[in-house]
Amino acid sequence: MIEANEPVEDLLRDLAPQILAALARQYGQLDACEDATQEALLAALTQWPNDGVPNQPRAWLRTVARRSLVDHWRSESARRQREVRAAGAERVFPAADDEPADGDDTLTLLFMCCHPALSSTAQVALTLRAVGGLTTKEIAGAFLVPEATMAKRITRAKQAIAQSGATFELPPAQELAARQEVVLSVLYLIFNEGYTASSGAQLHRVDLTSEAIRLARLVRRLLPADGEVAGLLALMLLTDARRAARTTADGSLVPLEEQDRSRWDSVAIQEGLALLAETLGRFPVGQYQLQAAVAAVHDEAATAGATDWPQISALYDTLERIAPGPMVTLSRAVALSNVHGPRAGLALLGTLDADDLAARSHRFDAVRAHLLEQAGDSRRARDLYLRAAKATASLPEQRYLQLRASRLAHDQR
Amino acid sequence: MKYMIMMFGGAGASMRDRSPEWISGMHALMVGLDAELRESGELVDSRKLMDPSGATTVRFVDSKAVATDGPFAEVKESLAGYWIIESSEERALEVAAKCVDYIEFPMEVRPVMDEPPPATT
Repeated sequence: MIEANEPVEDLLRDLAPQILAALARQYGQLDACEDATQEALLAALTQWPNDGVPNQPRAWLRTVARRSLVDHWRSESARRQREVRAAGAERVFPAADDEPADGDDTLTLLFMCCHPALSSTAQVALTLRAVGGLTTKEIAGAFLVPEATMAKRITRAKQAIAQSGATFELPPAQELAARQEVVLSVLYLIFNEGYTASSGAQLHRVDLTSEAIRLARLVRRLLPADGEVAGLLALMLLTDARRAARTTADGSLVPLEEQDRSRWDSVAIQEGLALLAETLGRFPVGQYQLQAAVAAVHDEAATAGATDWPQISALYDTLERIAPGPMVTLSRAVALSNVHGPRAGLALLGTLDADDLAARSHRFDAVRAHLLEQAGDSRRARDLYLRAAKATASLPEQRYLQLRASRLAHDQR
Repeated sequence: MKYMIMMFGGAGASMRDRSPEWISGMHALMVGLDAELRESGELVDSRKLMDPSGATTVRFVDSKAVATDGPFAEVKESLAGYWIIESSEERALEVAAKCVDYIEFPMEVRPVMDEPPPATT
């Protein structure tokens, strides 16, 4: 895209979910409404840079989108045509003031995209498309799949929602908490996809990490009284702040303790810390707030050696109580080893041996290898590094683990 | 013409005994070649497969399909990754040679058949 268009594009991406949500509320059919929204955005993108942005851009887009939707119905079939006419002018040109605030609509749209009838890959794709306003081509590029595959995935997702009989309204009160958890997990999934992606192929990839942060900000505006929403946004900001220091120019991973901390993004860190400060203690504690608190402790340490590990260890103890699982135990073992030495961490990991899930995770092997290396058991550390390298699906991670194993082998000689 | 340039498991297996410098050098070579092919517009697709120890082979045994752990070929000969590039045969061989010079393990270059684009539904 031409650089001069960027303000227009930013504006359009902010407005896109609002237009789509307003249409979906009125007419139901997510599929047709989305096409109509895209038509309107395209019209704006071709006309606004030349003619200037209209005084009421949202109203402009809404009108064009409605017109496009009506055109679509007219051409679809004679039966449809009659229906639209029968529905009358009041449905096609409703008074602007009979709609609820746009914020509510966008939230409803988000809940719909994260519908439990969908697989997580479908939830992610639909959310990026409908709420994030990304094109199918951009989403396909971000997930390294052909555009046709992603188009199909999105179409199927919309069909599945239609078949589930979902209506365009907020989930009932008794389901709200569970549905909200799904929304947050989808946003976190998008963030992690961006954060762990190989940097080598990133040349033409939409930045999923920034997109996840943008969406989290949006949800935070919509749900300001939820501690976990704030926690998730803080976690993303505090983690993403380290991105520049996390890989070298050729895409190799740099572990936290070896990162050049002057390259961390202090603006993002300050924002994350402030958000966390106003959240912790005001709301029921949750897993995202706790993980954000851990990230904050790392970010606040001027050097790796200055890290407040007892504090991190205590945070993981709390996390284990409210959301237990092998991955939490793994993190707890790392914290423990930094407080009481590698043997303490290994002992804790020993309690996980029987856990099948943990035994199959390459992260488990990688952490154990690190601890064994610190404890001086190079031979077993090397074997576990190599086993972890075989089991990881991430190329940068595999390279890091291979290198680590190789260093051990050659130090021994 | 499109060519598939294939790398096999033996190259990965040999890494066990390599020095850190050698491994870093190989990573740099691969990342560099990948970027070069992408920049020049020659790259069609490129994938690296996970270790063959994670493979499952489905065979026809006693009149039905049976899944067994492990790769179809020996680990050494099992596909480890590929580039598909659109180029002359000479160029495809040159790319393979750059890798083989370094990893000292064979690679295979094979023309990809043309086929009509899939019907859109």
